[in-house]
Amino acid sequence: MRRRPGIGGLQTAAAARDQYRLLGENVAKLRTDLMKEQLATFRSQLEDFARKHKNDIKKNPVFRLQFHEMCAKVGVDPLASNKGFWAELLGIGDFYYELGVQIVEICLATRPHNGGLINLQELCSLLRQKRKGSREAVSEDDCLRAISKLKVLGSGFEVISVGKKKLVRSVPTELNKDHNEIIELAQSQGFVTIDEVERRLSWTSGRAIDALDTLLEEGFAMIDDGDRDGRRRYWFPCVSALSASGEADS
Amino acid sequence: MADFKFPPFYNYPPYFTLQPVKDTREKQVQLWKELILDYCKTRNIFVIRPEEDFPLFSNPTIDRSLTHEARQVFLSALVSEGRAEWLDKGHKKCLVLWHRIQDWADILVQYVKENGLEDSVMTVEEIRSGPESRGTELHGMDRIILWRALKLLENKGKLAIFKGTSADDEGVKFSL
Repeated sequence: MRRRPGIGGLQTAAAARDQYRLLGENVAKLRTDLMKEQLATFRSQLEDFARKHKNDIKKNPVFRLQFHEMCAKVGVDPLASNKGFWAELLGIGDFYYELGVQIVEICLATRPHNGGLINLQELCSLLRQKRKGSREAVSEDDCLRAISKLKVLGSGFEVISVGKKKLVRSVPTELNKDHNEIIELAQSQGFVTIDEVERRLSWTSGRAIDALDTLLEEGFAMIDDGDRDGRRRYWFPCVSALSASGEADS
Repeated sequence: MADFKFPPFYNYPPYFTLQPVKDTREKQVQLWKELILDYCKTRNIFVIRPEEDFPLFSNPTIDRSLTHEARQVFLSALVSEGRAEWLDKGHKKCLVLWHRIQDWADILVQYVKENGLEDSVMTVEEIRSGPESRGTELHGMDRIILWRALKLLENKGKLAIFKGTSADDEGVKFSL
């Protein structure tokens, strides 16, 4: 037999709802408190850790990389701002800003030679030469981090992957897929010919010539008519690491 | 002969072909100008004959050689800066001034002072091949350049040139 709703039943239900709500609030508060406490503990632990390993972080590029990875996992960016406790604690921001400035200098200095496209490895070795006197070692990862910080300047600094290599572009010129493929092709010998581009990439000759002309015009490529076979070669200073190997010899 | 260290670009083939793009060409010309001056200074070379074999203009390691056009472009760039002079209208002989005439004149004055020759008389030949100049930059220097430097100093009243009976016995009296 179906019971009809009575006033007593409604009151009981309301009371129960209130009880549930109260309980729920308590639980939520408890959880938040616990979370806050954990966060505080975590933060202080991380600070302790950073303080303890300050020198390692500064001097050892491998350790620094691991530290960055750990920070990334827990959603902390030590480079987010030069103010705040990370910078004060580690001076790590300054380190990357300094690298950034030096990277810009190197890119500008080598631009007449490579048109503003430089191999990451070459950039790193030039950076190391420049920083010879400084205590901290610099890894490619550090270079990449410093470059990513340069992006906020909107100056068109970008790291592009071409084949297995990473190239750093310091001019606003966008490279399209065709250009990238040619540079990738050039990596094996340092140069390409029109024939080779047509054959290896199965392009029409117009497409190959067009792309090569653009690369030439932008200063990324240089022509070489001196080979015995008479075919014009297009060399790419950005994949040849000319300046680095040369200076290493001296 | 003094050892000469070639710059890295010397081993990069495209630098032996004149570049068509303006910025790249400028950089290329700049590098070659510096290299030509350095090379000639180290090897004590005063005259380049672009139409003849000149070791600097060919790099057998990478099997590249500058074309005549490129040689003319690089040398003419030096000429336009006063660091070289064409000795003939046909551009077959180029005098390389790794020291400008003024600098050669300064070196000469320095040499005269250091050797106490302020009031002496010397022949022109003596200056470039005499025992006193041995070990200085003046020794074995190009006659044309020496002559220009002497003329420059004569115009400034620092010496007088006496004509001799032949080209070899022109005399110089210093009055510094």
